[in-house]
Amino acid sequence: MTTIETFEYPDALFYTKDHVWASVDGNVVTIGLTQFGQTIAGDILYVEAPNTGREITKDEAFMSMESGKWVGRVKSPVSGKILESNTELEWESNLVNEDPYGKGWLTKIEATNLQELDNLFRANSPDLANLVAEEKKKYKK
Amino acid sequence: MQLFHLKFVDWLESQLIYHAQPRVDVEGINILAPNSPYVCIGYHQNLEQEVDLEYCKINNIPVFRREVGGGAVFLDGNQIFFQITLHKSNPLAQGDKSGLYQRLLEPVARTYEDLGIPAKYRPVNDVVTAEGRKISGTGVAEIGDYIVLVGNLIADFDYQTMTHVLRVPDEKYRDKVFKSMTENLTTIKREIGFVPSWDEMTKPLIQNFETVFGKLESAKLPQKVYDQMAILKLKFESKDWLFMKRKTKAEENTKIATGVNIVQRIFKAPGGLLKATYELKENKIYKAALTGDFFCYPREAILRLESALEGADLSMLDKLMTNFYKNNEIETPGVVPSDWVKVLSG
Repeated sequence: MTTIETFEYPDALFYTKDHVWASVDGNVVTIGLTQFGQTIAGDILYVEAPNTGREITKDEAFMSMESGKWVGRVKSPVSGKILESNTELEWESNLVNEDPYGKGWLTKIEATNLQELDNLFRANSPDLANLVAEEKKKYKK
Repeated sequence: MQLFHLKFVDWLESQLIYHAQPRVDVEGINILAPNSPYVCIGYHQNLEQEVDLEYCKINNIPVFRREVGGGAVFLDGNQIFFQITLHKSNPLAQGDKSGLYQRLLEPVARTYEDLGIPAKYRPVNDVVTAEGRKISGTGVAEIGDYIVLVGNLIADFDYQTMTHVLRVPDEKYRDKVFKSMTENLTTIKREIGFVPSWDEMTKPLIQNFETVFGKLESAKLPQKVYDQMAILKLKFESKDWLFMKRKTKAEENTKIATGVNIVQRIFKAPGGLLKATYELKENKIYKAALTGDFFCYPREAILRLESALEGADLSMLDKLMTNFYKNNEIETPGVVPSDWVKVLSG
């Protein structure tokens, strides 16, 4: 586990600049919000679970979450097909806040090209540490 | 920053414009009002659960699902809307949610002050009067690479119609929504006794926004916005969009203002069905009505129980119920104090 600015980043995961984590098991990519991501999002009131089977492309905003009347979008780090969505979140959206790397996972995607993950950050990447430090400064303003 | 001061426009256009702008890369501030009433639901809401569609149909009130968050609202020409579309790279769009809300809503609070109504921004996304009454509705959507904040100046408000367009479980609940709304949501007319002219309201609004955005340049909406609106109209008017399946509510819960909700919950106790309807304000119960299908001796004990709940904190219900049963003459066969706690707090 790597800690950046008090936020935890499991070493096995990949990270986007939008504070989404991705884990890989074969060609299945599971994604969620990072601990920092859910912190800046605030208390999540709704999560829209995308339909299974839907085709999505990398960087497409394919699902939404709502907190404080703010509807935010989640971008996919990979292209592929939605295998499963965490429908529990439709009832217990607070799991995203309480257990972002566990029960608060968002979707599982059958990836068509795992190489799309190559450009993502790893927990020990100095670029990720810089990004989080910069973002944290902004969110203090 | 461009200012699109559109005044009164078709109700559907008043929504389509700000949904179109981010899709065709047009930053700016719109100031407008719909020329006829309609109901607008939040992106994550279930239309059939939130809105009395029969009432809307009979009264010719159209319904729209926005991409912005929040709840179902009745909107009309007595509300002046500001719609701010900012690219995410815009320095004013930086920082956390509360920071952005504060930056863009403080000018709105100052506008109310200019109109003679002491008001302030209250985190996260409210503008309230000195007495704490809500006086502006707001919300945000991220659309593409843009953040769109929408909100209103409430010149006057049709509380009656608002409470009728909402789908509620029964008239008692509707009555509570109406009373709570009139107590917790106010308007310019209620505060100063009259509705100022359009210019009297929008001139200070524009000036106050200029303290944040710098000089606003009056502009005409580009044709590409209208072209995009024509495309979006098909989507937003489709049944698939309006009736999009959303989370089913486990309880009736109508948000009136931040921290103020009307709640109705039902619990099946061994001795019968219990139904509790109440106003929940800062986690405290007010104006509780306890009904259902159960026996209570003497009957008026239930009225005493309703009174005992006035101002009770949800976390103290266990103790309150136990003490009430201990200190009062009350018999409710098959209904024990903990059943009331369950129906009241889940």
